[in-house]
Amino acid sequence: MVDLARKNLLHDKLRFLITVSGVAFAVALVFVQVGLFLGLMRNATITIERLGADLWVTSRNTPNVDFAHAFSESRVERVRSIPGVARADNLIVAFMNVNLPSGAEEGTLVYAMEDFGAWNFPWHVLEGDTEDLRRGNYVFIDESAAKRFGPFAVGDYREYLGTRLKIIGRTTEARSFTTTPLSFMDYQLAQRLLRSNTGSQTMYILVKLAPGADVEGVRAEMKQRLPYNDVYTSDEWATRSRNYWIVSTGLGFNLGLTVFLGCLVGVVVVALTLYTSTMEHLKEFGTVKAIGGSNRDIYGILARQALISSVVGFVLGAIPSLALRPLVSRLGGLELQITPLLMVWTFVGTVVLCLAAAMLSFRKVAAIDPALVFRG
Amino acid sequence: MSVLRAQHIIKTFQEGRETVNVLRGIDLTLERGEIVVLEGPSGSGKTTLLSILGCILTPTGGELEVDGRKIDPRRPELLPDVRKRSIGFVFQQYNLFPALTALENVEFALNIKGCRGPEAQQEAERVLRAVGLAERLRFLPRDMSGGQKQRVALARALSGHPPILLADEPTANLDSEVGGQILRIFHDLAKKEDRSLLIVTHDPRVRAFADRVLHISDGLLAN
Repeated sequence: MVDLARKNLLHDKLRFLITVSGVAFAVALVFVQVGLFLGLMRNATITIERLGADLWVTSRNTPNVDFAHAFSESRVERVRSIPGVARADNLIVAFMNVNLPSGAEEGTLVYAMEDFGAWNFPWHVLEGDTEDLRRGNYVFIDESAAKRFGPFAVGDYREYLGTRLKIIGRTTEARSFTTTPLSFMDYQLAQRLLRSNTGSQTMYILVKLAPGADVEGVRAEMKQRLPYNDVYTSDEWATRSRNYWIVSTGLGFNLGLTVFLGCLVGVVVVALTLYTSTMEHLKEFGTVKAIGGSNRDIYGILARQALISSVVGFVLGAIPSLALRPLVSRLGGLELQITPLLMVWTFVGTVVLCLAAAMLSFRKVAAIDPALVFRG
Repeated sequence: MSVLRAQHIIKTFQEGRETVNVLRGIDLTLERGEIVVLEGPSGSGKTTLLSILGCILTPTGGELEVDGRKIDPRRPELLPDVRKRSIGFVFQQYNLFPALTALENVEFALNIKGCRGPEAQQEAERVLRAVGLAERLRFLPRDMSGGQKQRVALARALSGHPPILLADEPTANLDSEVGGQILRIFHDLAKKEDRSLLIVTHDPRVRAFADRVLHISDGLLAN
């Protein structure tokens, strides 16, 4: 079959370039915006997912994992006494100021536990043993902190809330939504550093259930015994944390608007270039009709043009977006999460929108009078 | 045996409140292998008649039978199929697809007619060779002369073996020598392959190739 659609598209290379550039722009915009959004959302909940607790006990109305409020650490005993609970541990998540050798002051988000090993947390240790954290004024720092703290190495010291702590380990992949670097230290050390704020208090209780335990039953019992706390499953807590950032910061609206505008630009460019191309080829389409072609044959040609534009535009938009990932990570400290699912959905969206754009031309073609072929 | 029969064809157009009678009762028959020339001044209804005979327009009144099939003006959706099977067009402006080579132009027409793959390519090559374009198969229209383009258009019209060829001013854009060559090809192919040919023209040279010359004036035919 002679591919008139492809030949027509490539015959006018400049127009084709403009069409696929419009699509590529929209695709790149969607990938960058949604990729950054997904990266931020992943950062927002990666610690929740990696801790792998079945239930999280939080203070009342805690909005997200980074903004914890303190409550008495003794409540963990009440949790441990509930049938079905296999393990329950206190967790402190708190912002601390760090004095850097340069004299500057930076913030860090500290995760503090008594037994990191029991929760396999942090999950990706590059150097050091978390067991050593309980032996003194020690800290693990995620390597992403180098961007804000400057270069650091195991054996260096940093001052946390006025106390010198020795760096005894490095982690990777531990991030927060705000890109504040993560540190890990012993639970009691964190309590000492935060004494003026928390005393003998904790921020969360992490709960692992015994095999076969009824999650809802245990949760109901927990709520009864801890009337001034909230209890979430891991998924609920991650969703709550994500929703906080999406709604309260306007991030969701901003993202939706940008993606919408990107798609709109793409659709308008494709629709206009296909429409003007159709207008210029009206006589050719009239000829197709005169030699026996139906509207369906011409719709097929237009749809194929839209399909080719969408596929080429998608590839041209996807390649720079994927290539941009290491750069975004290095320069912005942000993760551009272009997942296979995002790629599939963006591809489907691109094809659907380009076909929709081609429909603007369908109406024009349907009205073509084949008798126009006799006009000079 | 007639392959095209028109009886009392009437065509009226509405221009505002005014009704314009373009064709006022045309009777015309085209026999197999016959070459008929239709002449007439501008505005006489030549192109409208050609459009109706070519099943591009439907008549307001009268009866039309093409290749044994009676045309029902109330069912315009059936006309593309009649054009596809029974009619080949040659246009004054050639109307080739600029992005397609000579071979692809003919092959595409065959694809529309339902012939695909190697069969379509072989048939396209055959008709292009028949019109003397064996050396120009891979040329784009922009790289061909007017006469060569018209020969591609003729090959396209011949492809798929339609029994009727309708040509609208096929020599209007060609010089007399090339126009003569084209008319000889028309004549030879029509006679050799037993195709019926109706040529609408102003060109007096065309008469020499015709079996019959018709004259149309004010929407009426005169021999």
